[in-house]
Amino acid sequence: MAYGNISVIKVRDILLVTVPPDPDDLTVTELQEQVLQAMAVHEAKGLIFNLSTVDTIDSFFARTVTETVKMAALMGGLTVLAGMRASVAITTTQLGLSLGSTLTALDVDRAMDLLGTALRREESSA
Amino acid sequence: MNEPGGGEMRISTENDIVMARKSVREAAVALGFGVTDVTRIVTAASELTRNIYVYAGSGVMRWRSIVFENGIGLELTFADQGPGIADVERAMEPGYSTGKGLGMGLPGAKRLMDEMELHSEPGQGTTVCIRKWLLRR
Repeated sequence: MAYGNISVIKVRDILLVTVPPDPDDLTVTELQEQVLQAMAVHEAKGLIFNLSTVDTIDSFFARTVTETVKMAALMGGLTVLAGMRASVAITTTQLGLSLGSTLTALDVDRAMDLLGTALRREESSA
Repeated sequence: MNEPGGGEMRISTENDIVMARKSVREAAVALGFGVTDVTRIVTAASELTRNIYVYAGSGVMRWRSIVFENGIGLELTFADQGPGIADVERAMEPGYSTGKGLGMGLPGAKRLMDEMELHSEPGQGTTVCIRKWLLRR
């Protein structure tokens, strides 16, 4: 699936969301809606936001991403933010943004592992 | 209009925020800033151009390179004729916003840059000037 510049790929129970490098506000807003709709349609249990291509995250972008993580959680989905660049991590933190307890991973590979483990743990305790 | 090292663009649509980020990124890279400082400058510019778009509707962003004794720097000015800021001190507090924002824009931009000056008159508009220095080694 591709919505404008956003790509959402389903891998097993997980949706892999790739964000364009420098999205406008409309694209960021659309991303939230499209991702949550895709979650419902594909009965996904997990989301991975691949941020490795993103070169700037300002407060609007960050707020939309953290909101989406909370919304996905309300729908029973677990989210991992993956691949944030060092320069972006430094900047968003100095800007004053906090991700709270959101799961993060260095890259998509590790995010898949993390999500797989977390989802299995959820299943076995359910 | 936009000679090397400086330029000006009007901010009046949401897409202008993206265009402003592009122009600022090009200017910062051309001056020789490293990737982290470029990201800091572009992010600060994104916050301040969005403030213009959200609070004033329209305004202008100017950028220029500046020379000082130990090196060069990039100066960005964001000017609008919007409603102005009634309480500048509170506007600089993290988490304070009169709009729907997070209240991160102004204090965050200040932290990301080396210098920031803000002038605002209620009913007259707001001008924010930010600078990042690049030291010569």
